[in-house]
Amino acid sequence: MKQYHLLIVDDEKRFADMLAKRLDLRGCKCDVCYSGQEALNILERKKFFLILLDLHLPDIYGSEVLSRIKEIDDTTPVIILTGHGTEKDRRQCMQQGAYAFMHKPLGIEELLSILAQIGEMAA
Amino acid sequence: MIERLHRAWVLIWPEFHRQNREHLDSYFTFSNYRKIWGIGIFVLAASALLPLIAVTVIHSQLIQKSVDSELILRTERLTSNARRAVTFFLEERLNALRFTVNEIQYAQLTNPDHLAEILRNLKLGFGGLTDLSVIDQTGIQIAYAGPFKLKGKNYSSQPWFVECRNCNFYVSEIFRGYRDLPHIIIVAKSFRSDGTYFLLRATLETERLIQTLSSYETGAYADIFLTNRFGILQTPSKYYGDIFEKINLPVPDYSARTQALLGTDDQGRSIITGYAFILTHNQVAETPFILMVIKQKAGMVGVWQELRSNLNWLVGLGIMVIIIVITLTCTYMVNRLYGADRAKAETMALMEQNNQLASIGQLAAGVAHEINNPLALINETAGYVKDLFIIKKQYQKDEELLENIDYILEAVERCGTITKQLLGFARKFDVKIEKVNLKEVISDVLIFHRKEAEYRNINVHVDVPEDIPEIETDRGKLQQILLNLVNNAFQAVDAGCCLDIDVASGGPDEICITVSDNGCGMPEENLQKIFDPFFTTKERDQGTGLGLTITYGLIKKLHGDLAVESKKNVGTTFIITLPVSIEEETGDHENSFSRR
Repeated sequence: MKQYHLLIVDDEKRFADMLAKRLDLRGCKCDVCYSGQEALNILERKKFFLILLDLHLPDIYGSEVLSRIKEIDDTTPVIILTGHGTEKDRRQCMQQGAYAFMHKPLGIEELLSILAQIGEMAA
Repeated sequence: MIERLHRAWVLIWPEFHRQNREHLDSYFTFSNYRKIWGIGIFVLAASALLPLIAVTVIHSQLIQKSVDSELILRTERLTSNARRAVTFFLEERLNALRFTVNEIQYAQLTNPDHLAEILRNLKLGFGGLTDLSVIDQTGIQIAYAGPFKLKGKNYSSQPWFVECRNCNFYVSEIFRGYRDLPHIIIVAKSFRSDGTYFLLRATLETERLIQTLSSYETGAYADIFLTNRFGILQTPSKYYGDIFEKINLPVPDYSARTQALLGTDDQGRSIITGYAFILTHNQVAETPFILMVIKQKAGMVGVWQELRSNLNWLVGLGIMVIIIVITLTCTYMVNRLYGADRAKAETMALMEQNNQLASIGQLAAGVAHEINNPLALINETAGYVKDLFIIKKQYQKDEELLENIDYILEAVERCGTITKQLLGFARKFDVKIEKVNLKEVISDVLIFHRKEAEYRNINVHVDVPEDIPEIETDRGKLQQILLNLVNNAFQAVDAGCCLDIDVASGGPDEICITVSDNGCGMPEENLQKIFDPFFTTKERDQGTGLGLTITYGLIKKLHGDLAVESKKNVGTTFIITLPVSIEEETGDHENSFSRR
């Protein structure tokens, strides 16, 4: 599998770390951060292939983070991965340019297929 | 015709009298409609009837007084006229005696032939005289003219003679005397030149007097007679006894004037008594007579009583009409009020039910959200352990452990599906038109019943042909519709029964979803009412009776229709018809079930 560079933004540390490890095992390089501001700081410096973004972050709400990410870099696809998403959230995030809106728990195979899909589109 | 009969029946036996509405009691504005109805009738009847009754009573009393006054006046007038006649009768004869003693010498008077001549002339002039006699002051009858041989009779011990010593004229009571016939004696006294006196006495027949009185009797209810001052009848009475009997009426107190008053007789009859003490002109002689006129009121006021009776009937009829009109009006108004209150109560109950459903939805969403994060963690952790085995080959391959990890991952997947369903359930309150795959929706709904179906051995068959297109509708509402119908079907079937959900095209723009079971079914009479709010065949506390009402409302909201076929002990089939696409309504309240 092609090595993709992903940013995982989730305040659930164990979840984020575990997902990073699993993707790592599958050849993806993952950066992990646990707050919205941290993610924005990283994005100022680095560019990623894909960003996995939680909504309920401790400092800034996910949709706001999404909006700021789009200001920094409009080209990087962002997948919202949340356990708390409402229909209103889904609508708002999709309008703001999210690539997908997905609910936890998410199967690793499903995530990989999306990665592959984005990879194909990028190619 | 049936409609009219129903309206009439509602007026006679209104809904609020027979309605059992325990489950709605807390939503009603007024708790006791029978009491309101009763108070309404009472207050209206009282305010309408009291003035009428008061006016009728006052009017009746005024008429009564007026009639009494008129009767008293008439009786007084009659008594007065009769008194004048009796007085004249006595005075006329007394004056004749007076003239005789003054004009004719004593010697001539004591001459029997001359006395007989005078008697004959007096009889011719006045009539009613029986005899004439001259009595000296010792009481010896000196001369006598008449049918009896009474000359020489000594009256000195007779009470009338004793009284004559002190007066110039005398009128006796009616008495029988020596001759044993009722008669009156009248006496005129005359003094001679030697200072002695003599009495000229005449005996009067009572027939003439009785005839005179009788001529004043008016009608069958009037009685006119003379009594003495002790209540002994001096002339016969029609109702109160014969001559010389004592009347059973009180003897009136002396009055110089004619009087009339109301009273009752010994038999309790209401009477008007007119009386007058008979005094001769200028009171030259007192008489012992009291003239009495008795009129029985019942007879006198017959016409008026008939009028009053008619008036009473009329008033009674009026009161009955007023009471009937008030009762019918009150019944109608209270029934309308009850209907409005009931409609309000039903709406409030429905709203509360909807709010409860929305709350359940919110709760479900909350639970789903909270579970999702730990679930995701379990998922990733278990996945990572599996990765360690498969990808990193870090550990010795342990088939059993790997199998168990797969169980964990499978369980997580199932939990994830359920939390997604719960979120989907919560989302039904959002109004949103989207493309809906019916197979998916039915599958989502059945997830909730999968375990129950396995446990109760219920065979669920779903048939959605491949050519059925996705339809544009509100997924949440459609889920709730199907969930309600599947719930109903599960409650109706026993173990081993079947539930079929079939989808078919209903035309170019419609699809039909059929939910049928072979459960207990319903009798035909219940089919008419199953969409009515609060109609339920379940036991108390088992069902709200709102499920199918809400379902029906939701289907209408989606511009569809719901039909039902059922047969007792055979099964029930619900047929939902939905348009292939609808447009989102603007400004529509999401929880409103009003039909467009």
